[in-house]
Amino acid sequence: MSVIAVYNIKGGVGKTATSVNLAYFSAQHHGKTLLLDMDPQGSASFYFRIRPPKKFGAKKLLKGGRHIEENIKGTDYPGLDMLPADFSYRNIDLALDECRKSHKRLSKVLAPLQEEYDRIILDCPPNLTLLSENIFYAADCILAPVIPTTLSLLSLEQLFAFLDEIGQDPDKVVLFFSMVEKRKKMHAEMMRSLRERNRVLQTVIPYSADIERMGVYRQPVAAALPASAAAAAYESLWHEIRDLLAI
Amino acid sequence: MTVHPGADTWLLPDSLSVEGLLAALAAEFGLESAPEYGATVVYADSFDWRLYQQGCLLHSHGTCWTLYHGDSGEVTVQQGGPELQASCRARDFPPGGLRELLEPVLGIRCLLPLATVHLSGRQVRLLNKDDKTVARIVVESQQPAGSERPHRLVRLFGVRGYGRDQENVRRILAEAGVAEVASPLIGFTEGCRAMGRSPLDYSPKFALELDGGETAREAMARIYLTLLDTINRNIPGVLADYDPEFLHDLRVAVRRTRSGLSLVKQVLPGPVSDRFSRVFSRLGAFTGPTRDLDVYLLAQESCLGRLPPSLRPGLQEFFAGMARRRQIEQKKLVRALRAKKTRAALNAWQQTLKRRDRQPAPLAGMPVRDLAGRIVLKRFKRVVRDGHALDAATPDAEVHRLRIQCKKLRYAMEFFGSLYPRHELQTLVRHLKQLQDILGNFNDLSVQQEMLRLTLKTLPAGSRRTLDQAAALGGLLQSLFQEQQELRAHFTEAFAQFGDEETTALFHELFGKRQESA
Repeated sequence: MSVIAVYNIKGGVGKTATSVNLAYFSAQHHGKTLLLDMDPQGSASFYFRIRPPKKFGAKKLLKGGRHIEENIKGTDYPGLDMLPADFSYRNIDLALDECRKSHKRLSKVLAPLQEEYDRIILDCPPNLTLLSENIFYAADCILAPVIPTTLSLLSLEQLFAFLDEIGQDPDKVVLFFSMVEKRKKMHAEMMRSLRERNRVLQTVIPYSADIERMGVYRQPVAAALPASAAAAAYESLWHEIRDLLAI
Repeated sequence: MTVHPGADTWLLPDSLSVEGLLAALAAEFGLESAPEYGATVVYADSFDWRLYQQGCLLHSHGTCWTLYHGDSGEVTVQQGGPELQASCRARDFPPGGLRELLEPVLGIRCLLPLATVHLSGRQVRLLNKDDKTVARIVVESQQPAGSERPHRLVRLFGVRGYGRDQENVRRILAEAGVAEVASPLIGFTEGCRAMGRSPLDYSPKFALELDGGETAREAMARIYLTLLDTINRNIPGVLADYDPEFLHDLRVAVRRTRSGLSLVKQVLPGPVSDRFSRVFSRLGAFTGPTRDLDVYLLAQESCLGRLPPSLRPGLQEFFAGMARRRQIEQKKLVRALRAKKTRAALNAWQQTLKRRDRQPAPLAGMPVRDLAGRIVLKRFKRVVRDGHALDAATPDAEVHRLRIQCKKLRYAMEFFGSLYPRHELQTLVRHLKQLQDILGNFNDLSVQQEMLRLTLKTLPAGSRRTLDQAAALGGLLQSLFQEQQELRAHFTEAFAQFGDEETTALFHELFGKRQESA
């Protein structure tokens, strides 16, 4: 069992596309997978055509148990379920604050789900909050998509500083390059320098119109366009992560 | 197998066409139909249903094999493999996922073709207004070979979190006249039936429910008939030489019968007992040589592993010779088994058991419960007596004798097991089994060494090849002897566990008490 959090402080780096496609490949490779949409915008839920459940929200999520189990929905793909997001997640920090041991709450909520699912993938909102702390505590791996730009570098430094502050192992973080444009010289240069770090994956997810159009066809790119370069890139990313985490 | 919670299966009534059903569903759902499929598949399993016991079904379509979960129909693995003729083994499959799954389950048992069924149908996804899949429907026609009409099935697979939609599907199906619940494996089971088989209809384990009020004669007849059935059912597999387990199971049933005849005296008339003791002794004798060679050949891998690589070619040569000898012995076995004399003797045994004895034996009318405890306890006392004399220096022949005593005790416990509380009996059997395992391994090592010594004696002098063989056999002897010595060191402790006060008390409590109360 493993919990993978797809996370970056910056928005618009391809987190949701990564979560959705990795979850798809995880289920394809014989692992019962749960995708948790933690982002109040609910983009991952939208991609799977799953509407936010009624009578469900941040407080129910944190209660866990049957409150979660009753709201898990099957996707169109065998072996892949998801817990759709609710708009009330935007206030989740307030709800967390009321919990005891507030930084471990999510981990506790996920524990019973780990019996049913081989893998849990978290699609995380872009910020550094009490929820993020919960996510880092619960995750075995923090998978961070990085657009090779200077601003991304800055947000990475912030991430590692935060992990240090809350006493989490920086080795949980695994980086890969996302939305890479071959013709941009800066992308190539940034990638070269960043590769000197530890735990940077080989696979590069290119900037792709096929991925952007996921909102139109509302399926993982590999389901809608199995022969596309984007689908191949995500599959290769999945294999690399699987090997790295030995799952 | 339990029914998968997500899947419901019904028969499609004759009055309803697939198009009619889909039209009814289309009134409330969007439909997305996958392409139609159709293939004639041959289901395969081992004779003792090893895959089915694991909840798996395996079928081949030409050289394309599919292993799937019997309840949910979920495909575990699909892969190329051998074309299924009369039989095939796990090792006939190319390396890969399927072989890795089959090998541990099948072991040395081969796959035999079971039902041949023509499957055709399609999967339809039912979509809500967001075009989200909320349920799946599979309409499938299953037609076993030789049957006139296909079984037309509808299966509903729910999607988690869309219970209300599934209820709607159920309602639509019911309104369309789909009401008769069916097994999703109906084609498979009907196809098996056409071949005279039904799932789990054979197990090498002896399991017979006795009724404590039965007379000893009635109970023993049922025990012997069960064993005779096992013998008869294994004969075709032995003749065809599909895998070594057929002969093994047959011989175990023969041995059990012989044990019964020698343990349970004065229940069948003396002359009957004597006559059939001879019949089964002969059966045991002429099936022996092939089985012995099977045992050696099965040990080939482990024997090779005992030798340094330089000595292995000599041993391979030795095993090749053994395989040739086995072929000859198998031919003799087939001839003896097919012989009229054998068939007639087995038929006579059946008739004798079913017929009333003209002069019933003294204990024939005794309640089996009273007889059973006495026999088991007597065997137990014998094992304990001989077992106490066991130590690291006991000669091989005496160890062998104790092993046979244990076997007799075990068979007696199996014959009458159903008369006793299950849990306690299992505890005793477990303790006995531990002892038997050690004695069995010891005896195997002893017999193998004896055979090697014999082979060495008869090896012709001279050539390089015989030198290589002799060296290999010498190396093997050394290794077997060493292991045997190591086992000796465990004798006392193995027996101590079996012969301790607790086990003894339990034996007496279980098998002695009823005798007193009777």
